[in-house]
Amino acid sequence: MIYKYTILLTAAVFLLFTRSAAQECNGTFTGRVLDEANQPMIGATITLSQGQKGTITDAVGNFHFDKLCKGGYTVKVQYLGYENLEFEITIAGAVTKILHLKEDVQQLREVVVEDELEHTEHAHNLATLNSKQLAESAGKTLGESLKEIPGVNSIQTGPGIFKPVIHGVHSQRVLILNHGIRQEGQQWGAEHAPEIDPFIASDVSVIKDASSIKYGTDAIGGVIVVNPAPLPETAGIGGTLNIIGQSNGRSGTVSGMMEGGIKNHDGWGWRVQGTAKRSGDFHAPSYMLTNTGIKELNFSAATGYHGQQFGFEIFFSHFNSELGILKGTSIGSPDDLEKAMERSTPLYTAPFSYDIGEPRQEVQHNLLKLSGHVKTKRGELRLQYGFQNNQRKEFDLRIGDLSNTPELNLRLNTHTIETEWETVPSEKWSFSTGATGMFQQNRKVYGTQRVPFIPDFNNISAGLFGVTKVHLDEWTIDLGVRYDYRYYSVAGYDYKNSLFRSTLQFNNISATAGATVGLRENGTLNLNISSAWRPPHVAELYSVGTHQSAAANEYGFLLNDSTNEVLDIDDVSFKTEQALKFVTTYQHRWHDFTLEISPYANYIFNYIYLRPTGISQNVRGTYAYFRYTQTDALFLGADLSAVWRVHPSVKVTPKVSLLRASDARNDDYLVFIPSNWYEVAIRYDRPTFGPLKNFFVESKTKYVSRQNRAPRVVTVKELNDAHDQGIDPFENDDSNFDFMPAPSGYFLWNVAAGVSVKREKTQYDFRLGSDNLLNTTYREYTNRFRYYADDLGRNFIISIKCIF
Amino acid sequence: MRDLLIVIALTVLLLSFGCEVEDPVREDVPELITKVTLTFSPTVGDPVVVTATDPDGEGVQDVQVDGAIKLEATKRYSLSLTLANGLVKPSDPEYDVTEEVAAEGDEHIFFFSWTNDIFSDPSGNGNIDNRSDDVNYQDEDTNGLPLGLETSWTPGAASSGEFRVVLKHQPDLKSATSESGIGETDLDLTFTVNVE
Repeated sequence: MIYKYTILLTAAVFLLFTRSAAQECNGTFTGRVLDEANQPMIGATITLSQGQKGTITDAVGNFHFDKLCKGGYTVKVQYLGYENLEFEITIAGAVTKILHLKEDVQQLREVVVEDELEHTEHAHNLATLNSKQLAESAGKTLGESLKEIPGVNSIQTGPGIFKPVIHGVHSQRVLILNHGIRQEGQQWGAEHAPEIDPFIASDVSVIKDASSIKYGTDAIGGVIVVNPAPLPETAGIGGTLNIIGQSNGRSGTVSGMMEGGIKNHDGWGWRVQGTAKRSGDFHAPSYMLTNTGIKELNFSAATGYHGQQFGFEIFFSHFNSELGILKGTSIGSPDDLEKAMERSTPLYTAPFSYDIGEPRQEVQHNLLKLSGHVKTKRGELRLQYGFQNNQRKEFDLRIGDLSNTPELNLRLNTHTIETEWETVPSEKWSFSTGATGMFQQNRKVYGTQRVPFIPDFNNISAGLFGVTKVHLDEWTIDLGVRYDYRYYSVAGYDYKNSLFRSTLQFNNISATAGATVGLRENGTLNLNISSAWRPPHVAELYSVGTHQSAAANEYGFLLNDSTNEVLDIDDVSFKTEQALKFVTTYQHRWHDFTLEISPYANYIFNYIYLRPTGISQNVRGTYAYFRYTQTDALFLGADLSAVWRVHPSVKVTPKVSLLRASDARNDDYLVFIPSNWYEVAIRYDRPTFGPLKNFFVESKTKYVSRQNRAPRVVTVKELNDAHDQGIDPFENDDSNFDFMPAPSGYFLWNVAAGVSVKREKTQYDFRLGSDNLLNTTYREYTNRFRYYADDLGRNFIISIKCIF
Repeated sequence: MRDLLIVIALTVLLLSFGCEVEDPVREDVPELITKVTLTFSPTVGDPVVVTATDPDGEGVQDVQVDGAIKLEATKRYSLSLTLANGLVKPSDPEYDVTEEVAAEGDEHIFFFSWTNDIFSDPSGNGNIDNRSDDVNYQDEDTNGLPLGLETSWTPGAASSGEFRVVLKHQPDLKSATSESGIGETDLDLTFTVNVE
C-alpha cells in the first residue's frame, strides 16, 4: 500500500517537472575540484574544448560555467604537481560534478570522477571531515573529532567517552552508518560511545537534515556517515602508518593500513587495517583524573571486486576497548554527590597510573558486512547484509566480592539486510527504491547479581522506501518516502526481581523533500524539510534503577507511577516520537571569501525524556527520581562557517554554532543541551618550503559560552529538606532541574604545525600540536563529569604519518 | 515488480528467524539492602528491636520504620545490626547482607550520630561530623580498625531524640581517620530514640 503511494508520489513529481527542454544556450556546469584527500584545490585550471571557455577554481575549489550551449564538451583540469584530468561531458541543463585530481608521486588510486547523478540520494545539508582533517585529529575518538563541525557537539563522560550530538539531539536520535551499515550498539546510554575506530574512515560526513530516508528510522537529528576509501582496483601495494603520542594521559596510538590490487586481475582489491591505543590517567590543570585510562585494540579487513557490470565486497571489523571512569564519580547516594560537588579535588585522586580499575567499561563490537551490486542497462541493484555483535560490560565499586563482577553485561546481536534498486531513466531524473530488514537480539549475560537495568528483547524491523531526484534548470529536487515497522518481544525483571513479558509493535511513515538552487552568480541555496520518526528504545520503556555515576533513579515509560509495576502499552497514552525538521543552507562565494549559513528548526513531537517526578527514600538516602515522559521539544539554531583567504597562503576560518532548545509544551528548558560556541582558525599554508612540502601553522581559538538556557537548580540539600518536611518538591513545579548550575563559559587556544617530506614512493607527514595551550581550568556543560572534576589540562600531541 | 517480490521474500525470510524472546535467567541480588534491623540487647531483660524496611528497593516507596527505639536509662545495651534483602525469601542465600559486609570489613565502616547527650556513654553527638568523636565499637576488621556491626550504648537521662546510622564503603580509603564523608554510601537511616 505504502509502496504504491511512493510510486504515485514519484510519478506525480515526475510529471510536474518534465516540462519543455531548456533553451539552447542556458546550460550550466558547476562543481568542485578536490585532491585525493578531498581537500579543495584552489586555483586549478578548467577548460572546455568547445567554445574555448576557461576558469579557475575559487577559495573552496568550486568552479562555475554558465550560458553553455547544449552538446558535447571535452573538459580538461590542470594543476601543477598533479596529473591532468580529461574527460567528455554532455551539457544539457545543469550539470554538477565533483572532480578528483591525483598527485603525481602517488600511484595508489585511479582518478575518480564521481558523478553526483550516480547517487540518487543527495543530502542537502551536510558537512564533511576529509582525510586531512581526520589526520589532524588523529588519536581522538570519533565523537571528539566531529566537534570540529558547527552544529555538532558531544555528550561527554570524561576524557574517553564522546557521544556525538547533532543539533542538540543524540543517542537514539542520531543514526550512525559505518561502512553503510546502521551501527547497532547500546546507544541508549549517555556514557556509551560509538564503537568505531576513527582510523577506519577516509572521511566522515554529518548529514544535518533528516533526509537519509534509505537507512531507516531514528535519524531525528541527522546521520553520521563513516566512509572508508574505496578499495584499490589496480595492482600495486600501498599503505599508511600513523604514530601518535599525547602528553595528557601519556598515551600512544599506532594505526596501520595496507591495501592493494591484484596483478592481472583488475578490479580486485584488498585492505587490512589495525589500531592500538593505550592511555593512562588524564589530568586537569591542577590534578590527576584518576582512573581515566584507555586500552583499545581494533582491526579490520576487506576484500572485493569492482567491475563494469558487478561488484562485491566483504568487510570485517573488530573493535575492543576498555575504559576507566573517573574514580571520584563513584557515589552511592545524593549526599555523596553533594560532597563530590563541594570537593576541590575529586576523591581517590592519586599519582599518574596506567591502571584501569572500577568503575570501568569493557566494550567489544564486531561487524561483518557482505555487499554486492549488479549494473544493467536499466539500473543498478544493490544488496547488503550486515551482522553486528556488541558486548558491553560495566564494572562498579560494589559490596561483597562483586567488583570483578560486571553490574551490566549485555550482548546485542543484529542482522541487517538491505536491498536497493536504482534507475536513471534520463539525465533529468533518477529513482531508487528498496527494502530493509533487521533482526536484533539483546541478552543480558547471566551473573551480574543485580536486577537488570534493561530487559532482554528481540527486535524485528522492516522498511520500504522510494527516493527520487529531479534536475530542472537550476533546481535539483529530492523527494523520498519511507514506511517502517518494528516489533519487540520483551522479557525482563521488575524492581522486585520478578519476571515480566510483553510484546510491542510500532509503525510509521517518514518523508523528505529537498531542493537545491543556484542563485545568480555565486550563491547556492539548499532547502530541506523532512519528517522522521523513531520507535522508542526498550530502555526508555522499561529501565529501572540507577545507572553508572548518576545519582538519580530512572523509571521507564511503562512503569506505573505509584507502584512501578510494568504496564501494558495499550493502557498508557504513548505516541511514537516524530520530528519535523527544516534546514536551509545558503552558500555564497566571493572572490576570496566563502560564507555558509545554515539555520534550522526541529520540532519533535512526543519527545521522550527523563522528567523529575518525585523523591523517594531507600536505605542509602533520599533520591530524586525521573520518569521517561513525553513532551514536544523545539530545537532552533544556526550553523555558520566561512573561509576568508586573506592572502594566497593565509586562511581565516570562523565557525559559529548556535542552538536554543526548549520544552515547548511546558515552556521549560532541557538539560545537557550544548551551549553556543564560536571559533576562529587562522592557518598559514606553504606548499613547498625548500625540500619540505605542505608546511602549515594553525591557531584555533574557541569560545564556548555558558549555557544560560539551562533548567533551574535544585540542590541535594533542598531535596533532603523537602523530604524531611514531608513535601514533594515536584508537586507544584515539576519543571526540569539540575543539581548544579551550568559552568561558566571558557576560551580554549589550540595550536598546530606540520610539514611533509616526500620521497619517491613515500611521504611522511609530521605534526606537532597543543590543545588547551594556556592550561585553562574549565568545565564543559555537556560533560557528565562536570559535577566532579575540571576538564582536561594542556595536551601536547605529536604525530607522524607515513604514506607508502 | 520482480525486484519488489525479491524484497518481500527476503523480508519474510528475516521474519521467520523466530520472534519471541526466551525468559532470561533470574539474577541473585546479594547487595540489595531493603531491611535493616537494630537489636539493642540489655545485659538483663528483653532486647529492643527496631526495623526499617524499604518495601520496593529501587522503587518509589519510602522506607518505613516500625517505631521508636525505646531504651531504659539505667541499662547498658549492646547493639547488633543486621542487613537483609527483604524482597527475597529469608531462605534465599542472598537474603543476608550482613555477612557480605562483615567479610569485607576492611572496606566498610558504620558511623553513628545522635541528639547531643542522649547517651551517657558514648557522650557527645557521635562520629558522623567528626571521626575522632566517641563511639564504642565492639568489633574490628582484619586490620584492627572498627567496623560497627556490634557497638555498645548506655542511655543518659530520660529524653528523646534522633539516632542516625550510616554505612560507608571505603575501598582502599578506610583508615583510622577516614571520615564519614568519604566513600560510597551503602546505608543512611535515621531513627527516633526515646529514653525512659
